[in-house]
Amino acid sequence: MDHFEVRFSGSGGQGLILSAKFLSAALVSDGYTVAQSQSYEPVSRGGLSRSDLVVSKGQAAFPLSQGLSFLLILDGAAAQASNDLLNRNSLVLVDSEQVPIPPTGDFNLVNLPFTKTARDLGNKRVANIVALSALVARSGMCSKETLETVVRTKTPPKFASLNIEAFTAGWHLV
Amino acid sequence: MANLINLQGNQACAMGAIAAGCRFYAGYPITPSSEIAETMARELPKVGGVFIQMEDEIASMGAVVGASMGGAKAMTATSGPGFSLKQENLGYACASEIPCVIINVMRGGPSTGMPTRPAQGDIMQARWGTHGDHPIIVLTPASVAECYTETIRAFELTERLRVPVIVLVDEVIGHLVETVDLEALAPKETIERRFATGPADGFEPYAVTDDMVPPFPRPGDGYRSHTTGLTHLPSGFPTQNPEKASAALLRTTDKLDLHADLIEACEIIECDNADIIIATIGISARAAQQAVTDLRAKGIKAGLFRPKTLWPFPEKRLKEVAKNAKIILVPEMNQGQLILEIERLMARHMPVIGLNKINGEAITPAEITAKVSEVLA
Repeated sequence: MDHFEVRFSGSGGQGLILSAKFLSAALVSDGYTVAQSQSYEPVSRGGLSRSDLVVSKGQAAFPLSQGLSFLLILDGAAAQASNDLLNRNSLVLVDSEQVPIPPTGDFNLVNLPFTKTARDLGNKRVANIVALSALVARSGMCSKETLETVVRTKTPPKFASLNIEAFTAGWHLV
Repeated sequence: MANLINLQGNQACAMGAIAAGCRFYAGYPITPSSEIAETMARELPKVGGVFIQMEDEIASMGAVVGASMGGAKAMTATSGPGFSLKQENLGYACASEIPCVIINVMRGGPSTGMPTRPAQGDIMQARWGTHGDHPIIVLTPASVAECYTETIRAFELTERLRVPVIVLVDEVIGHLVETVDLEALAPKETIERRFATGPADGFEPYAVTDDMVPPFPRPGDGYRSHTTGLTHLPSGFPTQNPEKASAALLRTTDKLDLHADLIEACEIIECDNADIIIATIGISARAAQQAVTDLRAKGIKAGLFRPKTLWPFPEKRLKEVAKNAKIILVPEMNQGQLILEIERLMARHMPVIGLNKINGEAITPAEITAKVSEVLA
């Protein structure tokens, strides 16, 4: 893949921007050039939140999303927000618990229990890492080892083992 | 092996400032510029610099001017409402020729507006925000790498020319994270302020020199100096003598004409045989850059003119570049500001058409190509 676009969407406080940063670091170490942007509302938690990666070989002229190859939806607030950017080649992963009404259309939609998996690990806040891992496992956009190294080295020591458990659980969801 | 990292535009501004030798930052955090203050707070102490969070933007700008009068390379960063508050002390720095850098990361406006949303609504305020005829330089980066290099250039210009420099960033570029190699971009040498040397006797802090940039008297070096926002003589003391006042004011603006080659910078893409030239800045220029590629692929001869130095506007370059064009399109995230300058220069030669968006979202390449198809139809 020479050019692809990824969006992490949900509500503020879900760790979407962190997931995007992890994936971005992994892709750069695999030789890609990445532009990461985000949009959020002026509130601490809640509100529509998203982070996008435009991934290319060499700097992309326009660094914002124009057509999503991969979309992750972790909250119902974001369910329909990206419809204009989807096409028949898009892969859309939605949280089966937090997104009661997923988007419909001519694209590949997969429901997965990110939040439930995180809760079973003891902390539903790692749903972002479960989802990130599942997205990479499903898409093959970078290697398991590359992403795992990033998650391990960029997570504060206090949460490292929990994030690695979330990473492993997410990888086996797909 | 390139040392590639993912860096945010705002962080790149801060890192560029430090690389340029900035050692004083005073500010009051405001979205979407806060990461500049955050990065300076963390990084400046490591290089022996000083970070102060002041009580508001007025005091921040005062502190920056004061630090620079003490000889330090000094900077602040802000957005919309804060930029408005800084204007009075900015005017003082313009009038008394005190080097300083102000980064304004533009948000949706007016007033508190849309703090987390992008706009390009401060194009005219950056030029004319403080009152009266005054010299100012405004630079407009369009990538994370340029946030770094243009902040460095801002310090070089302000220190060399004793003119305040504004780095005008839009929220998209300020919050954008891109893959960059800072080592490759780092300055090999920096341009420094010229401090006064020679006899202290008879020293005039605003003496007329060949380069129109008076050497700066560093406090403690023994030069008698007087600094005021009142229109002043070469001695630094106020005057209302019509001839002398006029000469003093003209020197500060003529200085920019004299050093135009140092100041001017643009990016010009595919303009040689272009029928339509897209003139714009910041994130809108990134959209235009892709639009040019897409339009050329369809056989439409489009080109991009992007002023990296927005003010003084590179008017000679635009006139040269656009002399054979048929139309100029000006996409901007406001109701029409940059277009006023381009109309002033070009409207008698060709149609100048705007593409405006003020809903808190960036202009897309598709919107530009659609507009081009519409105006060529």
